[in-house]
Amino acid sequence: MNLSKLVRCDLQTTAIVMMLFLRLGAAQVVVADSGSTEVSSRAGEPGVVPPFVAGFDRFARHGELSAEASGELLLTELSCTACHHSGLPEMQPKPGPSLKAAGGRLQTAWLKKFLESPSGTKPGTTMPDLLNSLPEAERSSVADALVAFVMSLNEPFPEVKASGLTPVPMEFWNRGDSSAGKVLYHQIGCVACHEPDPDHEAVRVPASPVDQLLDQLNPEEIAELGLASEARQINSVPLPNLWEKYNRQSLTFFLLNPEHVRPAGRMPNFGLAPVDAANIATWLLTSRNSGSEAERPSHDSADPSPSPALLQASLVNRGRQLFSELRCVSCHTLPDMPPAKSAVPLDRLRQTASTGCLAETPAGVPFYGLDELQKSSLRSAIVQIQGPGSDQAAVLENRPAGLETVPDAAESRLLKMNCLACHERNKRGGIARFRKSWFETVGHVDIGDEGRLPPGLTGVGARLTIPWLRDVFRGRGTLRSYMTVRMPQFPENIVKDLPELLRQSDSTSTDPVAESKVFASQSMPSLVAAGRALMDTGCVQCHSFRGETLPGTVGIDLEGVASRIHPQWFHDFLKDPGAVKARTRMPTFFPAGRSQNKEILGGDMELQIAAMWAYLKELKTQPLPEKIVHARSQNYELTPGDRPIILRTFMRQAGTHAVAVGFSQKVHFAFDAEQICVAQAWRGRFLDAEGTWFVRSAPPADPLGEQLIDLPAGVPIADLPNESHVWPQNSREAGYRFQGYRLDKAGVPSFLYRFAEYEVNDRIVPTEDHGLQRTITVTRRISHAPTDQGKRENPKPVEHAIESNRPVWFRAHIAKVLKMVEGTPAEVPAVISGDNLRIAVAFSMADSENPTSASGRHTIKDGRIRKSGDLFEWLILLAMPETADDSVVIEVNYKW
Amino acid sequence: MVEDLRKIGWSGSRIRLLSPNHYCSHFALRLWLKGIAVAVLMVLACGSTNAQTEDDYYRIISVSVSQATADSRAKNWKPAPEGLALEISGMDVLDDHRLAVAIRKGEVWILDGVYQDPPSGVTFHRFASALHEPLGLLNHNDSLYTVQRSELTQLKDTDGDQVADQYLTVAKGWGVTGHYHEYAYGPKQDRDGNLWLTLNIGLGLKGEELNRTIHEPVLNYRQGLWRGWGMKVTPDGDLIPVCAGMRSPSGIGFNKAGDMFYTDQQGNWVATNTLHHMREGVFFHHAEALASMNQPGSPIRGIRRVPDGLPFPDAIREFAQMKPPAVWLPYRKIGQSATDILLDSSGGKFGPFEGQFFIGEFTQAGMNRVFLESVDGEYQGACFPFRSGFASAVLRMVQGTDGSVFAGLSNRGWSSLGTASYGLQRLVWTGKTPFEIQEMRSRPDGFELLFTKPVDPSTAADLRSWSMNSYTYLYHADYGSDEIQKQDLKIRSAKLSDDGLRVHLQMDGLRELYVHELRATGVRSHDGEPLLHPDAYYTLNRIRRP
Repeated sequence: MNLSKLVRCDLQTTAIVMMLFLRLGAAQVVVADSGSTEVSSRAGEPGVVPPFVAGFDRFARHGELSAEASGELLLTELSCTACHHSGLPEMQPKPGPSLKAAGGRLQTAWLKKFLESPSGTKPGTTMPDLLNSLPEAERSSVADALVAFVMSLNEPFPEVKASGLTPVPMEFWNRGDSSAGKVLYHQIGCVACHEPDPDHEAVRVPASPVDQLLDQLNPEEIAELGLASEARQINSVPLPNLWEKYNRQSLTFFLLNPEHVRPAGRMPNFGLAPVDAANIATWLLTSRNSGSEAERPSHDSADPSPSPALLQASLVNRGRQLFSELRCVSCHTLPDMPPAKSAVPLDRLRQTASTGCLAETPAGVPFYGLDELQKSSLRSAIVQIQGPGSDQAAVLENRPAGLETVPDAAESRLLKMNCLACHERNKRGGIARFRKSWFETVGHVDIGDEGRLPPGLTGVGARLTIPWLRDVFRGRGTLRSYMTVRMPQFPENIVKDLPELLRQSDSTSTDPVAESKVFASQSMPSLVAAGRALMDTGCVQCHSFRGETLPGTVGIDLEGVASRIHPQWFHDFLKDPGAVKARTRMPTFFPAGRSQNKEILGGDMELQIAAMWAYLKELKTQPLPEKIVHARSQNYELTPGDRPIILRTFMRQAGTHAVAVGFSQKVHFAFDAEQICVAQAWRGRFLDAEGTWFVRSAPPADPLGEQLIDLPAGVPIADLPNESHVWPQNSREAGYRFQGYRLDKAGVPSFLYRFAEYEVNDRIVPTEDHGLQRTITVTRRISHAPTDQGKRENPKPVEHAIESNRPVWFRAHIAKVLKMVEGTPAEVPAVISGDNLRIAVAFSMADSENPTSASGRHTIKDGRIRKSGDLFEWLILLAMPETADDSVVIEVNYKW
Repeated sequence: MVEDLRKIGWSGSRIRLLSPNHYCSHFALRLWLKGIAVAVLMVLACGSTNAQTEDDYYRIISVSVSQATADSRAKNWKPAPEGLALEISGMDVLDDHRLAVAIRKGEVWILDGVYQDPPSGVTFHRFASALHEPLGLLNHNDSLYTVQRSELTQLKDTDGDQVADQYLTVAKGWGVTGHYHEYAYGPKQDRDGNLWLTLNIGLGLKGEELNRTIHEPVLNYRQGLWRGWGMKVTPDGDLIPVCAGMRSPSGIGFNKAGDMFYTDQQGNWVATNTLHHMREGVFFHHAEALASMNQPGSPIRGIRRVPDGLPFPDAIREFAQMKPPAVWLPYRKIGQSATDILLDSSGGKFGPFEGQFFIGEFTQAGMNRVFLESVDGEYQGACFPFRSGFASAVLRMVQGTDGSVFAGLSNRGWSSLGTASYGLQRLVWTGKTPFEIQEMRSRPDGFELLFTKPVDPSTAADLRSWSMNSYTYLYHADYGSDEIQKQDLKIRSAKLSDDGLRVHLQMDGLRELYVHELRATGVRSHDGEPLLHPDAYYTLNRIRRP
């Protein structure tokens, strides 16, 4: 019989096991003799609460799962199959918590109490009572030995890597902020499974439409409408008295990486920042469920290491032996401990046995405190699994198909992992009644339940691609950053086949319908542009595009949608959203299959859907929808008004010392303050400042307008030793120093620089015909510098003095093609270059009282076009001012 | 009486101070009978409370803080929809009601009413715009000076309309390749009137950026000119390279003597955050700065080899030009990203730390404290945690006319603790003196500690109250370094001075050029308080000779 098998292997070992065996034998006799349903060593004791399995509690108890399916769920979730092995892959037991670092994680007193009465210590625990069959007097000493062994298992906590992206304060687990932890606990999704704090104030969100309806119905109506499931409150996964079990450090590290301790992954990883984990841990340990911190042991400096007396070698060894013999190791595997001998395999369990775990008075076996429904469900499952002939392959095939109460492989997984606590699928599950108010939208924007509740999973296998589902399960699928709830990450080995299971569950064919079949005309080249235009019809009102939105809009970003969603589903959803996704806020743009926009693609619905797909597929490289571009420009596009706008930035043409100046006349230029030249001019729109203001990578600002004129680098004025000497290439070497700029009353900048012994004032403004007028005033340096940096007795000597009588030239232009314009007045010669830029130059002496106004133009003595490499240069000989305060004014007119 | 206290909401931990052992308990008892208010005063007078937090001594006032809608590292980062994007990147005091701040998008604002508490009526006025990521601000010569990416600029209002109309270039000429990491910080003024600025190293330059670099063939480094250097600008406007080897020198500051210091941030060649004394011809750590060593004006020449992969003390011995930091700021223990340097020159209005440095901390949104001493003419000293809990990354600090300290916050581009993305907070000393290690000095046989309050003799003498270990770092081209060659020190004695303020720790195993970490968790003040921060980290470049 089962019981003798269970203990046979242990007969010849220690005295404890002898006693255990004797005790088990006695219990067996009790069962055999009396057959009483009431007599059980622990039954009826207060605190024996049946084990809590979320899916069972929520669905099986309300007839929403077949008895067989309910029992199957228990077989794995109660880890029955850890002892009663089964070859069926879906019968893999839920592994127990890893104990390899338990000594530093748990508190001794709690562990003792828990081992002596798991359910009494943690009502609803799925850990069975293994000491149940021992005489009362021995339980304590057996527990002591087990405690000694478990507490002897120790490993340092893993190091939390700090970086510029991850703040990790010293001993962050002792710095938790309870009130911040409370907010997080209620915000990120913990309360989908665990009990909310009734005192925590949730932000009032409008009730879900379903909840509003439920509020108005009586129970009969609710049942009639099939809303019983929706109307039901659920019980919570228990979290009692955590402060007895953990200290701040161990709970914080558990929350940081639950899989490390609980490989079953039923508690998933919320990707918490170290400080957030500490905040939640602090709240759970100190303030949760009322009771003041002062009444609890301080966890600040709790020494987790057990006392030396406890870790006495003989006691530890005894505990180790018991750990194996009592089959603790079947659930809590340890690297250096062989697995326990198995119990009767699942497919050979006697379905009608009056002994064993399902006995009315279980004895000599782990005591689960199962209730009648759990027992009968388990029996049904075992019957079904053993089936006629007990052929496992046949069992799979013989499953009744199409029954709602019988989940398929994908749904079983969702039940086990309690995905259904958050996600509704095929009318089962989802955030339960009276818990929805904890689920909020960041910033409390009302975008309906879709904006705050985790998405439904009905048909998800036909909707989402397998790579995307994989990303989601790995915690890389953050798409709804506007929700406070987070999609947690599950252990890879538990979810790696789930995408494929979901696909099998939801789609009849192995391969999704190919894009080319869904969108027959997708090769049309104009589709992308049409798709972009269609976005403005409605999509932009709710969706974001590459992180950009209309003001106040919150919604899923459509970048990457073509790699997330199957083409067929996209097509069907756009065609009639409500038919594919119940209660969606997505409106239909094709009522009765007709497009409301007849302008684009002739109003052809199929073409328009194909166009939107084509555009979204290319969204990464395509321009954003026009309305989004416009909205963005409201924030960042610089549009000069009464006064010019200046932006210092990086520019491709004007370099890393660029000063761009924009005018209301819609003529703009960029000055290169390194090379000391006008580098670029353009018309129309000016610049977008986002990159300069707020983007870390500091991208160059590109002119937004048109009719760009690029002007080659090079200083304007130079002294050349001879007429064929090459024009200086470097402003510094040519004796230039940029001195900044000064704004006049109208906000127009004059650029200031020095050249040899001259001060230069360079002012550029638009002309009436949308060209630019540049006025370069050259003054011989006077004793005071334009900066106020210190008072100087003697001005510094100039870095580059011009040899007397050496000619000084103004280089008016340089271009690949350059020719003189005929017929201009002699004192205003002009050239025109290949890009149709016409440059005219005049030259005058300025009134020293009013240095920028010309006192009369002079005829240019020597102007010449010379070839320099591939380019032509227009040089004009200057008569430089000879005394201080004397100025020469060069006027340059740019027209293009 | 305990019940009575409970009734008025006192926590159990506070009641402990009224234990019979306590010297003031009888007084407190009597006073209690006279009224609650007097008892509370007594508690303050006793200076003893077990619920001590940094808040009790230094209070944070939020002048203006905002939360952006996007994560600090988001590609499409946007400021909060309302209000000014007050990402403070430079700051200086104008007078006893106004502050000038530079913000990262390139503007300078005058904030009026910043000392208000609560700050309900602060006004904002734009003084300058169109600056390219200014990362410093100095009120000087009736103007504001700032370092933009490509130049040191003087901003001046000449027509009296309170808006700058002159943007004059004081100095430029360092390399700007266009790489985002080439931040330029400053200016701060030294005792001779020079304006100092520091230049970030470029990281992984490519494409067009390489066209704006210089190449040093021996070491084969390529960087923009003077990248990774500390520079000064003379009153005549000359830009002079002073010292090299910086990675991300976002803080510049001077001590009481007017010597200039900078902070660096962990990364390649930089084992952990550091504080360095800037002076001519010194090399610190980031080797790629040596790309400029043979350029005209360089005070460093002819380095032919840079050791890579040695413990730092060995590297110092092999590499004559390299000088150790005055203080290592051990990673995580003293922050994760050091920023600004503030000298407390309030004459005691900011608490007991007059003359010491406070270092801004980006990632952990806090401030740390540094005590420096000179041993054989070189600065070295200790760092201590000081204050956490700012609303965002502390990027800039300046001391107000009342001794309080303004913290300019901005976390964009990286990450920080705190609930905000940017803004301005003010740290005010409450007048209560925390029990802290005020100073830590090198002694031939150990260290001498000065405390802010008398120390309890029994805990001071108990050697179990103290523990020390020392370690160093690896000097290498990789990012950061673990603490290596860690050793415990055996403390032989702890002697308390007659006034109870100084403890002389004698120990074996001091090692020059190693960080010496002290944990004084067992020490209590005369009133029974533990240290607010029991940790200190002393950079023992030289052991003081007898």
